[in-house]
Amino acid sequence: MTNKALILLTSVLMSCQAQKDQSNELTCWSANDNQEIEFIRTSISLWNKGQETKVSFQPIPEGQSSEEVVMAAVVGKTTPDIYANMWQGLVELYSVSGVLIALDTIGDFKEFITERCGQKVVEEITSSDGHIYQVPWKINPIMTIYNKKLMRSIGYENAPRSYSEFLKAGALFYKDFDEDGYPDQWIGDTEVKNIWHQRLMNFYPLYLGASNGAPLIKDGKAAFNNQYAIDVFAFLQTIYLNGYFANESNSAGSDKFIGGKLATKWTGPWHVSSLEKFKPDGFEYEISNLPVPDNHQGPIYTYGDPKNIVIFNTCENPSEAWQFIKSLINEEGDLRFFTTTRQLPRRINLSENPMFQSFFEKEPKLKKFAEQSKYIYGTDNCEVLIEVLDIISQEYESCVLHNKKTPKQAIEDAERAVNVLLGNF
Amino acid sequence: MRKSFTYIILIVGAISFIYPFFWMIMASMSPEKELANLIFLPESLTLGNYAKMFDKIPIGRSLINSVFVASIVTLGVILFSAMVGYALAKMKFKGRDLIFYIIIFTMTLPFQITLIPNYITIVKLGWVDQYTALIIPFLINNFAILLFRQSFMSVPQALIDAGRIDGCGELRIIFQVLFPLIIPTIVTVGIITFMSTWNEVLWPLIVIREEQLMTMPQLVTLFSVGGRAENQLGVKLASAVLLALPIMIAFIFFQKYFIQSMASSGIKE
Amino acid sequence: MNNGFSIKPYLLIAPYLLFFLVFVLFPVGFSFFLTFHNWNIISPMEYSGLDNYARMFNDRLFWQSLRNTIWFLVIHIPLQIIVALGLAVLLNSNIKFKNFFRASFFLPVIISGVVVTIMWQQLYGFHSGVFNHVLSKIGVSKIGWLTSETMAMPSIAIMATWKNVGLYIILFLVGLQTVPASYYEAADIEGASAWQKFWFITLPAINPTLFMVIVFSTIGGFSLFIEPYVMTGGGPLNSTLSSVLYIYKQAFEFFHMGYAATLGFMFALIILTVIIIQKRFIETKDE
Repeated sequence: MTNKALILLTSVLMSCQAQKDQSNELTCWSANDNQEIEFIRTSISLWNKGQETKVSFQPIPEGQSSEEVVMAAVVGKTTPDIYANMWQGLVELYSVSGVLIALDTIGDFKEFITERCGQKVVEEITSSDGHIYQVPWKINPIMTIYNKKLMRSIGYENAPRSYSEFLKAGALFYKDFDEDGYPDQWIGDTEVKNIWHQRLMNFYPLYLGASNGAPLIKDGKAAFNNQYAIDVFAFLQTIYLNGYFANESNSAGSDKFIGGKLATKWTGPWHVSSLEKFKPDGFEYEISNLPVPDNHQGPIYTYGDPKNIVIFNTCENPSEAWQFIKSLINEEGDLRFFTTTRQLPRRINLSENPMFQSFFEKEPKLKKFAEQSKYIYGTDNCEVLIEVLDIISQEYESCVLHNKKTPKQAIEDAERAVNVLLGNF
Repeated sequence: MRKSFTYIILIVGAISFIYPFFWMIMASMSPEKELANLIFLPESLTLGNYAKMFDKIPIGRSLINSVFVASIVTLGVILFSAMVGYALAKMKFKGRDLIFYIIIFTMTLPFQITLIPNYITIVKLGWVDQYTALIIPFLINNFAILLFRQSFMSVPQALIDAGRIDGCGELRIIFQVLFPLIIPTIVTVGIITFMSTWNEVLWPLIVIREEQLMTMPQLVTLFSVGGRAENQLGVKLASAVLLALPIMIAFIFFQKYFIQSMASSGIKE
Repeated sequence: MNNGFSIKPYLLIAPYLLFFLVFVLFPVGFSFFLTFHNWNIISPMEYSGLDNYARMFNDRLFWQSLRNTIWFLVIHIPLQIIVALGLAVLLNSNIKFKNFFRASFFLPVIISGVVVTIMWQQLYGFHSGVFNHVLSKIGVSKIGWLTSETMAMPSIAIMATWKNVGLYIILFLVGLQTVPASYYEAADIEGASAWQKFWFITLPAINPTLFMVIVFSTIGGFSLFIEPYVMTGGGPLNSTLSSVLYIYKQAFEFFHMGYAATLGFMFALIILTVIIIQKRFIETKDE
């Protein structure tokens, strides 16, 4: 009896050993978002109709957990051939670790990408070793969405453009209707939870706007101890000191912007889709640039939140994988992507491209984001970018949210910590 | 006078324990725009949030997954832990005390230490995206072993000897002769195992990425922290209510057993 | 019966041994090995000697997470004991609807931590939360439950108490019921006060339960994770950065597996020490 149980147990364990068959199929991981799944599904069925090499896909969990899943797959050497949703800020880490294929070694990659995205983007995505490990794919530029009625209620036709205008509007909009000592509406809000990637929604885009797209890290050193960064911290600190922004986590309570309690919101095109779906009757909104310092000159840059496509070194047929990727990002692919997901393809002169015009006519709001896409920056090629952003987050929290330091001191401390960090690597 | 004071405190207590659930259920059935001011009852009740949620995620499938995984694990834990518990309680062998101390030590180990290496093991075994990853690592439970050991110790040796004279193997002695005598322990182990397996989130998050195989808490967590709820609080809360509901219903029907088993699990420790 | 060597017990514990080797011994050994290495999961490991240990002792956030955990325990344990014991004593008197009360106190115990956290995050909201809504209605100023550096950890401790206290109410209730009614009658005849009765009769009876509550809550405190992870992300100003959350951040956000393993070992050691001390303390009190 006992023996039998033991044999049973071992045989169960043995039989569970997976038998993965080797075929010339390509697997592709995508984001786990309904629209993106739909896009990838359609694209794959189009591809599979005409090609020998068949592609299959799997959506993987979104957000932070997606990085864990990819990491885990790298350890287990179970990475897919193609991963279409890699945050640009992580590519350097993976490429340095040698798990990505250098794409510039594949046939027409460089010409194709230069034509699609322009020289500036090619420079941005070139790794420190001179190779390119990512296909620039999609962007979601961070801009200001504003509620027209609420802005009008304080005498503004547009969203405030400069820091001082924004602060003035913040003071005008600060209203305590029920006289309980707290405001009941705010000029805006931004996540207060101390998580590094939240800085990509407030500090970082504002910094890029103020500095015309300056890097955080340059030549292996912190490059952000400058007046721009200090101005951004001072601007945000004034906002929170005066209670112009709601001081609670975004996940507490229902969406304040759609509920008419926020006049503006710094966000990306994804918010337009959800606004279109859920906005109450008579809700009018418009899109504009992020606020910039009063003396700002030139175009206004912002963070583009680029997500890119990579090919892992477990892929046995990278050039075939590249052919498939091309079918996702050629003009037809990009148009299909844009119309299905309402996220922007990272394509040069997107707003003027004739192929997209009829879609822009239907979606004038998205055209604003497309126009902004000329002036976006992604991330620096830094292996420990997440930790850099975490250090900035720590200082952001103590200076901006809790007024424990002056902006100058906070930026200095962040610079010192980042340089210590980079010195270690 | 004193009596009514007792009642007042108990009622206030009961309200504070029930109210958050009540609020969540009401909120999940209220229109999004009323959520901000909801304290007691919304002006209008709707099931729209539930409909939207069913539309967005395969919650039904995840319910089946959770029930399946939790049932198999519960069954396995009862079988294997009983075997080990019996050996520790009623058999003399070299290394018995060592095993006992190992079990105690393992119980105090924070799971963080073993998380990463265990993940690597699962990958090497090819169990990622398979039910086995959710089941096999949980088939042995130290706490259950201790409970079984405790309860087998109180079983008279004479019964076991009689069984052996009748020619029963050890497994028959455990499962046929002794099991009827320790039903409360089995119920306790069953309920505790089922509940903790049902509520487990972190591990499924790491080993399952195929949506069709996800457990319910995993799906709900991903849904409520991720972007798929499109910032709609009501929909998130609806998914949370649905996650709580099966255990709540089970609790209403089997309240006595739940409470008894949790209580006895504490005392015997 | 069987005095000679028998293979039977070993066969019965074989599944356990297999499990222990694969899912406990190997991972613990591997983690220990990791503490002497730098490893970001995807690049090859680098031997780093005692660097990780040196770094830990100089790491401000390591000490802060330890302080936070202790602060959590300092609030959570007494609160848990007072509420549990108080409600248990009331439940132990001759009252109606006992089952209903007991069940309602117990309800949060069985519900998934995810649900509890999602729910309480809404109740704790500063501007839109129910608690502050009620406070401002009765003219009291709002509380930054999760947004103030001083309140965030206590708020989480209150929530954790709410979630777990039902179990301890039941445990205390069992303890209380072991005291024969005649003891109290005898004490009444002697003219003992309610306080004396509690101190000399009730407390000794529930002492083992008390120890258990303390040990369980300590372990619970050191494994605090999902609450700060979902509600505060460890903030404000790292005031809710728990030990597990810090390990998680190092391991899964910054990919310092070696350092995370070092932290894991350190915290494991601390938990064991704390529990041993608690045991000593309570046992000597018993004598």
